[in-house]
Amino acid sequence: MQKITDAEELELKRHAVQLRKDVLAIIKAGDAGHIGGALSATELMTSLFYKVLKNIDPKNPKREDRDRFIMSAGHKCLIVYAVLAEKGFFSKDLFNTYFKINSKLPGHPDMHKLPGIESNTGSLGHGLPIAVGMGIGLKLDKNPAKVYVIMGDGELGEGTNWEAAAAASHHKVDNLVVMIDRNKFQLGGLTNELMNFEPLAKRFESFGWSTRSIDGHNFKEIIDNLTDAPFEPGKPSLIICNTLKAKGISFLEDTAGSHYWKVNPEQVVQAEKELDAIAKELG
Amino acid sequence: MMSEKKDPRKTFGEALVIAGEKNSKVLAISADSSSGSQMTMFKNKFPERHIEFGIMEDGITGMCAGLATTGKIPVFATIAPFVTGRNFDQMKVDLGYMKQNVKVVGRCAGLSYYHLGPTHQSLEDVALMREIPGMTILNPGDPVEIKAATLAMIEHTGPVYMKVGSDPMPVIFDESKYKFELGKGITMKDGKDITIVGTGTVLCRAAEAADILEKKGISVRLINIHTIKPLDNELIIKAAKETGLIVTVEEHYTSGGLGGAIAELLALNHPTKMKMIGVEDQFGSNGPYEELIGLYGLLGPQIADTCMKLLEKK
Repeated sequence: MQKITDAEELELKRHAVQLRKDVLAIIKAGDAGHIGGALSATELMTSLFYKVLKNIDPKNPKREDRDRFIMSAGHKCLIVYAVLAEKGFFSKDLFNTYFKINSKLPGHPDMHKLPGIESNTGSLGHGLPIAVGMGIGLKLDKNPAKVYVIMGDGELGEGTNWEAAAAASHHKVDNLVVMIDRNKFQLGGLTNELMNFEPLAKRFESFGWSTRSIDGHNFKEIIDNLTDAPFEPGKPSLIICNTLKAKGISFLEDTAGSHYWKVNPEQVVQAEKELDAIAKELG
Repeated sequence: MMSEKKDPRKTFGEALVIAGEKNSKVLAISADSSSGSQMTMFKNKFPERHIEFGIMEDGITGMCAGLATTGKIPVFATIAPFVTGRNFDQMKVDLGYMKQNVKVVGRCAGLSYYHLGPTHQSLEDVALMREIPGMTILNPGDPVEIKAATLAMIEHTGPVYMKVGSDPMPVIFDESKYKFELGKGITMKDGKDITIVGTGTVLCRAAEAADILEKKGISVRLINIHTIKPLDNELIIKAAKETGLIVTVEEHYTSGGLGGAIAELLALNHPTKMKMIGVEDQFGSNGPYEELIGLYGLLGPQIADTCMKLLEKK
């Protein structure tokens, strides 16, 4: 396990609040967007891109030994755009093109429009099969790179996930690490009420995965566990990350309504104030 | 000509071994379909490059895309409707939109599963694949062409759907002289009264019809379209201009396939009298293969009769 210091944790918190501000800036440019899932996954994305992913290089985004990241729940792409811009893959000037004609920042990510995007997602249940294929391909080449995936909890209903879960275990794809952003909401309400997938860990374990459950906003827990994978040799790793939808903006937090947010100017001002206050507190 | 018959799947399987020898990136991907798709030869020769996933075609299509992102060339072969209709979203997004270098082979295509009915028949596969930007569609018409098309699809960078039947196919082409050029049709006979455009499993029926018509003194142009997308526009427009009557022959619905593609092309460029021979808007029936394709007018003498009726009205 790779422990992080308190100073490192503080630095990550500062990055996270900046990423949340970036997400808000993108949404502001388009007047709407999938904010809830972007903000529930912010600490996961911050951890991945600032601490976990190896050989990520904006100057050489296709280097063969890079760890791969796939945002399977493609509607959470605003946090992907934010982190890739902060890491220098492209200019933050592109934020203002969001929802404009021919934007490189569509509402779901397109690998041919932006560097650093590994897979086109948006149609749910595609990311995990693609990641399993990547994992097998890397292992065939004896490439030590790992494949990390963030899935939404709502997308678990897609049958392809369970096909891929079986295949990953059968083929011993232990270079695969999947995080389920368990924010408990999907578009129409509570995930467990719309279609229950509990006991989630046991279901994946019965498919041959090694699982853990963590607080998905706690950097120490996230990084300890992400850097500890594979949890068992020969098994794919799953981390259930318990999160709050739209974490960081009080009036959206933990609501189904934050899934897709149509903004009004007053709300944007309030959200900006709240994020600025968090940033100020962090120093 | 057309005396010897070969198993199209075995021909594909043999060609895949050659492709595998030439290119170490080629992988054979099975949905419990290696034996049925004749990839067992590849599996025996390159066991580490054969991946079995069991029956999960949607997931496998995505996994193929993932493998392709690492530079592999996955060749995924199984029963045609399960790799075109069932998994359409994966074909569209993971292969088409993501532009991944995956080769999907739909075998036992068309009415090949003549006893098993519509669940296993694929009369809409070309129509579906035509709607995916960047998807190349191959439908080779004899064993020589299946071998050449298999090797060509590996050389080509980008997603490919290749349609292969299962009934033994007559050898039409002389392998020593045959040349496959992706996107280019082959004029098998030159003529001026009528053009018959054949593809895939029923190319031999189109050829038989052309022979019957020639014996009646009709000057027939016979074109083989092995690449339905991208279509050889130039060759088709030229035939339309020079013969004024186009008949398409395919083991597919009369809409959306080769006939549909040619109709769209000619409507915009050179409106021409046409007839599509294939299955109309109904699910395929079941029964012995010859009798079944006969239900839809796809036997050589039936095609010739249809052409004669059209020529009488010309």
